[in-house]
Parts: sequence; structure tokens; C-alpha cells
Amino acid sequence: MADEDYNDLDMGYEDEPPEPEIEEGAEEDLENNANEDAPVEIEGEEREEQEPVERPRKTSKYMTKYERARILGTRALQISMNAPVMVELEGETDPLEIAMKELRERKIPFTIRRYLPDGSYEDWGVDELIVEDSWKRQVGGD
Amino acid sequence: MFFHIVLERNMQLHPRHFGRNLRDNIVAKLMKDVEGTCSGRHGFVVAITGIENIGKGLIRDGTGFVSFPVKYQCVVFRPFKGEILEAVVTMVNKMGFFAEAGPVQIFVSNHLIPDDMEFQSGDMPNYTTSDGSVKIQKDSEVRLKIIGTRVDATEIFCIGTIKDDFLGVINDPAAA
Repeated sequence: MADEDYNDLDMGYEDEPPEPEIEEGAEEDLENNANEDAPVEIEGEEREEQEPVERPRKTSKYMTKYERARILGTRALQISMNAPVMVELEGETDPLEIAMKELRERKIPFTIRRYLPDGSYEDWGVDELIVEDSWKRQVGGD
Repeated sequence: MFFHIVLERNMQLHPRHFGRNLRDNIVAKLMKDVEGTCSGRHGFVVAITGIENIGKGLIRDGTGFVSFPVKYQCVVFRPFKGEILEAVVTMVNKMGFFAEAGPVQIFVSNHLIPDDMEFQSGDMPNYTTSDGSVKIQKDSEVRLKIIGTRVDATEIFCIGTIKDDFLGVINDPAAA
């Protein structure tokens, strides 16, 4: 379904700094590599790539609403299954609410894998992507 | 024969095991899942000796689970045709006897027991030479040669012989 959603129409091809700032939230510190062979996924747990992103990435640096929906959904599911929460809670109990708070504080330990039509992909950490203003309203931004 | 090899496996991890101990949890689950299993290709996995690397996780859609490709070193035991093994006899009957060498079961037919050994029934069935000097019964230790293996996907079974030079009982609990 929404596996390749990159909307680079207006905001053009900004060259983001190709290497993601390695700024682990608090979680696991694995040394990773080994590209996934498995089929459709776009998100993988924790990054720090030595992936095929040597050349500057060209998809939008904005998180699409589809990505946002999938991340919040997946993260909320994990939280509902007792995954450790990456933020301080202030009485929230709803997994989706907690997931939104994590997204707001950019603490969701996911990487989005954006597949392009030619089969190649770009990895973007959730903490690198800009969550758009109109979403911020729903996320409850500042 | 034992081998020290590197294998790979995809481990599915439940979200409750995330967090700073994620790596330990993967390794613990891997050991629980893999040690003691048997694959026809590699043989019995005896022990995991080390982890080569744990790859990037991949989120499984709809379940919240994450699968990690894990490369690990392990000791495997794989019996081969022609290999000499020492085994403990577990059952004796008129068809022959069964012995175990670690996890592998070996059957030695009475055609493959030296002709001078005769089956003796009773509450402790055994094979004995005519002069009674050598006796194979339950819990005897025998040295045998594997002459055939049957390898399934999840099981290895062997046929052995003791009808050859230097094969046979090496330690008899009754005599000790």
C-alpha cells in the first residue's frame, strides 16, 4: 500500500546532511548492519546506517501523513504490548497518546525505509524528519 | 563429528523485550530456541559459543514484533557414515541393540554383531560370547562404527556395526 510515499513536489530536493546524527534516544545500542531481505517493511528498529545512503538523499525531509499514521499505529501497538516507553509520562495511559508524545519528543526508535519506484530506498530516522505543522496541531505541538 | 560453524537465524522479538537489554534478550531467546535442536543439514546444535552480529531489526506489520537477523557461532554434532563413535547401550532385544551417543540414536542389528555373540533373553537381555567373557547389556559402553545414517529435516538416526576390528564393549558396568 503506502510503501513509497515521498512527496517531493514543492519542497524540492534539499540536500539534507547525508549522515543521520547519531542521537540514540535511550534505547538499545546494537551494532547493526546486514540489510534486511524481508519483503515490504519500511521501518526498522534502531538505525545508524552504513546503508546505501552515501549519496545525498533526495526524498522530502517532511514526514508524510501516511508515515506518521503508520509510525504512530505501530508504536502504539508496541506500547500496548508492554514495550518500554521512551518518554516521561505524566499520567497518560492511552498507547496512542503515549506514541504521539514520543513522536513529539522525537524519541521513537524507528527508521523509515522509503522505497523509490526503481526499487532503491532511503532510510530516514524518525527524529530527522520534520513533522508538519498541521500534524503538529493534532500531535499537540507547542 | 563436531563442527564449529556460523549459522544465521531470524529472531522474532516481542515488544516487551525491547529496551536497553534488547541484545541480551535476543541472545537468551536464541539459546532457548536453538540449543538442542537438530537440523538435517547441520546436525545437532550442541551449544552457542558466541554471537557474530545482530542485524537491523525489521518491524513485522500488524503484530508489533520485530525480527532481527542474528549470526551466531555454535558447536554442532553431525554423525557421518564410517565414523567411529562411543555410545551407551539403551535397549537390547533379539533384533539387535540400540545405543545413544549424546543426542543421536544408533541401532546395531544382530547381523552386525560378531557371530560368536549370542542373544540371551531374561530380565536383563544381553549379547554374550560363548565363553561369557564379553557381555553387551543395557548401560554397557560400546565402540561402534556408523555404516548408515538417515537424515530427516529434524532428526538423525544411525545404523552401526560392531563387527570389525577394535569395535565392541569398552566398559562393562556389570564387570566393574
